Amino acid sequence: MLSVLIWLPLLAALIVFLIPIKISSSKIKLTASIFSIASLLVSLLALLRYDLQAQGLQLTEFLSWIEVLGINYNLGIDGLSLPLIILSNLLICLSIYSGDLAQNTDLKTGRPRLFYGLILVLSGCINGVLLSQNLLLFFIFYEIKLIPTYLLINIWGGENRAYAGTKYLLYTAFSGIFVLAAFLGIAFLTESGFDYAAIQTQILPYSKQLILLITLVIGFAIKTPLVPLHTWLPDAYTESSTPVSMILGGILSKLGTYGIIRFGLGLFPQIWNDIAIWLAAIAALSALYASFVAISQTDIKRMVAYSSIAHIAFVILATAAGTSIAVTGAICQMFAHGLIVALLFYLVGVIENKTGSRDLSILQGLMNPQRGFPIIGGQMILAIMASAGIPGMVGFVGEYVSFQGSFTVFPTFTTLCLVATGLTSVYFVILVNNAFFGKIDCRKTTAVYPQVTLAERFPAFVLATIIVILGLQPVWLTSITNYSIVASNPTKTTVVAINPINN
Amino acid sequence: MTQTPTAQKKLPPVNHPFADVIHRLEAGGSMLPDTPENLMQIIGIYKAYAIPMDFYWRDLLYIAERVFINPLPAFKYFLPPEYLDLPNKYAGENADLQVWRGKASAHPELLEFIAEGETGKMPKLLHHLNHDRINMEFAEACMQAMFWHEDINPQFNAYLDSDEYQANADRAIKAYFKGNPVMLGMYKLFPNLFLEQVRQLSYYSNLGLFWEVMCPVFLEMSDLYDEGKMTTVKEAMDFLVNGIFAVAGRPIYHHVYIGDECYEIIPKSQGFTWLYEAALPYVEAVFYRTSPFRGTKSYNAQAKQIPDEQKDFHYGILYADVLPVGMAGIPPTLLMDDMWHFLPDYLREYYQKRCRGEDDMLVQLGITFQRSMYNVTSAVIQALRQALLYPLDDTNPEHLKQNREFFTAQINRFLRDEARLRDIQSPDYR
Repeated sequence: MLSVLIWLPLLAALIVFLIPIKISSSKIKLTASIFSIASLLVSLLALLRYDLQAQGLQLTEFLSWIEVLGINYNLGIDGLSLPLIILSNLLICLSIYSGDLAQNTDLKTGRPRLFYGLILVLSGCINGVLLSQNLLLFFIFYEIKLIPTYLLINIWGGENRAYAGTKYLLYTAFSGIFVLAAFLGIAFLTESGFDYAAIQTQILPYSKQLILLITLVIGFAIKTPLVPLHTWLPDAYTESSTPVSMILGGILSKLGTYGIIRFGLGLFPQIWNDIAIWLAAIAALSALYASFVAISQTDIKRMVAYSSIAHIAFVILATAAGTSIAVTGAICQMFAHGLIVALLFYLVGVIENKTGSRDLSILQGLMNPQRGFPIIGGQMILAIMASAGIPGMVGFVGEYVSFQGSFTVFPTFTTLCLVATGLTSVYFVILVNNAFFGKIDCRKTTAVYPQVTLAERFPAFVLATIIVILGLQPVWLTSITNYSIVASNPTKTTVVAINPINN
Repeated sequence: MTQTPTAQKKLPPVNHPFADVIHRLEAGGSMLPDTPENLMQIIGIYKAYAIPMDFYWRDLLYIAERVFINPLPAFKYFLPPEYLDLPNKYAGENADLQVWRGKASAHPELLEFIAEGETGKMPKLLHHLNHDRINMEFAEACMQAMFWHEDINPQFNAYLDSDEYQANADRAIKAYFKGNPVMLGMYKLFPNLFLEQVRQLSYYSNLGLFWEVMCPVFLEMSDLYDEGKMTTVKEAMDFLVNGIFAVAGRPIYHHVYIGDECYEIIPKSQGFTWLYEAALPYVEAVFYRTSPFRGTKSYNAQAKQIPDEQKDFHYGILYADVLPVGMAGIPPTLLMDDMWHFLPDYLREYYQKRCRGEDDMLVQLGITFQRSMYNVTSAVIQALRQALLYPLDDTNPEHLKQNREFFTAQINRFLRDEARLRDIQSPDYR
């Protein structure tokens, strides 16, 4: 069943690539949409068949592939990957639905077959990354996804897309090198092959474990990204078209944190605490730095991009803490972050599409009921509130559980991250105040922006609804995130952190 | 065919940011560029304005004359049949001066709207509570602007402060509250409170009498346009100028009817006239000044965002940012909403094809209204020039220079950033 999640999008991509040229763009989009919805339904079916009470991998699939190299086709799903799989397939659906926002960039060619096909390839790769239980299989998908992502940024991006695309490619390729080096090191030194379940790193000397873990964390920290390895992100996110930004911010950044939890914490629980404090410090630094930089932005997409860096750092902080509740919080925060960042990027994309600008010094009065976008404005305020961790929305669940888990271990760094959540309100209030309040100048004829249609509001409605529902009923989210791995000896204080969510 | 105006033959070109507009005024034109599109827009909006105005003037007079100082005037917007049938003195066959060839009683489209509103036939009270009615609050806001800017109507206001006026008002108040010891007692305790109310009611009457003239003027312009007899913006302005002079001497008065008796609070014999005591103060108070409407914008008076002097206020339609239109309770929104009900088909179609069509029609028609009021203001400027200065074809360069100085002084009022004179020169401002 899990194989369907990988191969269905890839098959769909092939079909889309082969659609004759005379078929209209809307039909190509429809085809891609149908396949992506099918993929989403399969992921929901996997949720139905998933036993929420059981720990460990479920719905596993195993095929021996290249035995000499230890590469097996080994898939499985657990409380860490399940929410991300659902999130990924949902966001792919919404990105394909909002594909038109990428088609009216200055590159008039459109090339819908290639665009939707690449998104489907990317979808298959992301599912592959999240489902792989073999290190090399994971790595293959992890690397292949670079190609469609690079092309999606480079063909449909903004003015500096070539720069942003190349920077993204270089950084992520380095990420790949670190990850591959660590994987090879783990497999060869432990001589346990590449299958995740079989790896026993504790047989290695401490120094080797530490080197492998640090290499792995650096590899995934680039992908996440953590300051100071983040500089590719603002460019890549900002220059990408809206649907691609949604995927980049919503899903791809989670692959870094997923990797850190799965392979860092998961394979090295016994020495995790030795690097945890440094990781937590870097996470706190990332959150604060990115928040302050976001405050100074005038480009709203860039602001959202920096906000994304700040909020993904909370996941790292919780992961560093390594307690059961912290890891649950990290997974919840990943899910929440994906939804919120995708919503923010979508709304920014709609605004850019309608007004032709993302500049805070140009945009104003968009809340105007007659000539602005009051509903988009309302959704933006909701997204911002969710991002700032206002109770009643999923952002609160992610941040609260993460911080509750991490506070017992790293009270200082958690407090610093709490300051960063406060700063979220600062930069987003700047955004709303400048872009949405105030007044539109109807003397400028260009200020008569076209209307946002109901169909264009749809993705935002879907995301906003999920954000609110999971905010009001967080148990639906936390119940699928029962991931069992924790740092073997987080701290003395963690014993008091009884997980109230799973009770 | 355009002729070079006398002023431009005799005087050097004017050096002014609005030189084109001043030259146009010297040629007898309007501040609004003379294009068929502008003509279509302003005539359409005059028609849409005239019909609610037909209600405004009737109700203003009803409040001034009948509701008077009712302490709980809950039904002051419920116009009785006799005021709906009240013959307009400038319309119909029996008019004192027939401006509009239609009926003297309330306009048929107005009667239809009063009966059905937007929602359909239902009791008047339900229409009222549902706000599905003519927004008299706008008319009252205009009246209050005239009442509040005291310096623009010195003679009329001096009379409101005179002993004679107070004696007239006193008689009427006592007659109105005859047999009501509570209110008479209140009057004894707070006489100035009641007197101030009567002064305000005199402005109700003033504005009602002003609009009684403007309503048939606008309706006739619309009919002439429909008949193809009004083809340029200049003709539209000239019609207004002629109208102003034709009715300039109309008496402005305030009569109150209590029972069968008429109390003349401001008698006609006082000699107040339509042009000087109503039209010019109205233009100054409503077109130029008014006051910052609540809810449109937050002003910081300490930061001098509000002028110190009332005479420097510039919140009227000639300066207004129309975009706050659409927000509840703001007088311009109420007017736009009233006009929206009576838009002629050609103007409705015009708006539907532009900007956001139906969705921002209130803003579009607000901007058209702004254009149309620049044309009315042009008519007032030309009328004043005609009354106080020299003909446009005067051969004496000194006279032409004085005319030019007058026009320049008027146009200088639109040099401030908020003024929309520059905007209305372009058809893209909508």
